[in-house]
Amino acid sequence: MLKNITLGQYFPGNSLIHRLDPRTKLLATIALIAIVFVAQGFSGFLLLAGFVVACAASTGIHLKFLVRGLKPLMFIILFTFILNLFFQTGGTVLISIWIIRITSNGLRMAGFMAARLILLVLSSQLLTLTTSPIALTDGLETLFRPLQVIGFPAHEIAMMMSIALRFIPTLMDEADKIMKAQKARGADFETGGLIARAKAMVPLLVPLFVGAFRRAEELALAMDARCYRGGKGRTRMKQLKFQGIDGLAALVIAALLAAVILLNRLNLF
Amino acid sequence: MPIEVKGLTHVYMPGTPFEARALNDVSLSIRDGEFIGIIGHTGSGKSTLIVHLNGLESSSPGVVFVNGVDLGLKETDLIAIRRTVGLVFQYPEYQLFEETVEKDVAFGPRNLGLSEDEIKARVADALRMVGLPQDVAGKSPFELSGGQKRRVAIAGVLAMQPSMLILDEPAAGLDPAGRREMLELIKGVHDTGVTVVMVSHSMDDVGRYCDRLYVLNRGEIAWYGTPAEVFIHEEQLHEIGLDVPECAKLARRLRKSGFDIPEGLYRTDDVCEAILRNLRKGSDATC
Repeated sequence: MLKNITLGQYFPGNSLIHRLDPRTKLLATIALIAIVFVAQGFSGFLLLAGFVVACAASTGIHLKFLVRGLKPLMFIILFTFILNLFFQTGGTVLISIWIIRITSNGLRMAGFMAARLILLVLSSQLLTLTTSPIALTDGLETLFRPLQVIGFPAHEIAMMMSIALRFIPTLMDEADKIMKAQKARGADFETGGLIARAKAMVPLLVPLFVGAFRRAEELALAMDARCYRGGKGRTRMKQLKFQGIDGLAALVIAALLAAVILLNRLNLF
Repeated sequence: MPIEVKGLTHVYMPGTPFEARALNDVSLSIRDGEFIGIIGHTGSGKSTLIVHLNGLESSSPGVVFVNGVDLGLKETDLIAIRRTVGLVFQYPEYQLFEETVEKDVAFGPRNLGLSEDEIKARVADALRMVGLPQDVAGKSPFELSGGQKRRVAIAGVLAMQPSMLILDEPAAGLDPAGRREMLELIKGVHDTGVTVVMVSHSMDDVGRYCDRLYVLNRGEIAWYGTPAEVFIHEEQLHEIGLDVPECAKLARRLRKSGFDIPEGLYRTDDVCEAILRNLRKGSDATC
């Protein structure tokens, strides 16, 4: 069946980054985020931005999808920018109106924080755009496995995550169908005040919840029928394996870290 | 012309790698009082097509007219259109939500802003039409059987008293007896003067009830016409994953092996009669 929604934001592809082991991508993203915090100047940010954009370009994903991920965070980015702009002191005063005073330090700090946030979002975007949610949970499960020694339920959490991810499109689809059906019976989801709209959701939410419980029951039964009993002694069909390109990715990240530290030392701008 | 579709094209998620063309230049026209069948393989675009017929989706290029009103125009009152064109989705029993059957069936009429007396009368009428006893009205829809739930859902649409009724696979997942009852119920609605469009992939069902058929394949109309006209394309229908009624197959095979059976027979009674005629002629010859 055709679906009008994307699962997560994954864009299928066959680029070098797509083919990386999900564990490598997870660790590299964490490393990249750390490097963003290591960078102390705009020269470092420029390098990182160049790196992220180059990576995105190499995956064949249109830049607009990368930028689209910034939209929900636009408010926070703008908020920190303005906060820093107005409340940082020091340096030369650029503009001074009434009690508002914008200083060169403030401007620099504001730009710095905004650039940092944008880079953080973009680098994590790179992970979710190139890794299927299933591969991602697989990667997480293996990465968290050592923690099982101290009783961390790595397998169960990964299983819950993959089930949740698996059912997001199904439930969205169902919500869409129910909404259409109720609209066909004259329901109005779009107009009216807050209370009227909240009330209008009842014909959508009740069938959706009933359906979700029905599906959960069916799934539990199906898992039982196939003798599911947790992660103990469970083998997997697709074994995750580090390859040459994963080593290469590690080297690239290490080089990036070194370059950023060097730029910090040089203290260019 | 109650429903007129011209050059309708629908693309899912355009501009992404998930882009998919569900409908491609589909045109059809449905006259008052007809019983139309829309058939096609899974994913052929049937369900996408019918949500366009009451303005739940709109696409360009393409226009949909209902009683001469263009559904694509901004000023079109879609609530009025949905009151005229009733749409019963596949597995409609999953849309029930109210505490009682009566309240659920009343949902549509209430949205139309009718008076309480009128709503009550319509609910009773609708429940009678789908063959449910009046005493289920006070029950919770969730304690009914699957077939009864579906009847309640259909009653919910009938209570809006549409002059056209569109049903997406109304008999899906029912046992043979339930299937027959459901189809008879729809025929009963049609007999009261309602124009019916039924989506199905059972050739036996559409062959038995429909005046005209539209065959969809990969989002395009492959054939249309009376069942007899459509069932002639037996081989091609087979290629696109469809079939013809068992009786049409039998009639064709007999004709091929030299029996005097006219072309285009598909109803059980007609085929029976033709075979009997042949047998009588045969016995005359041997006498």
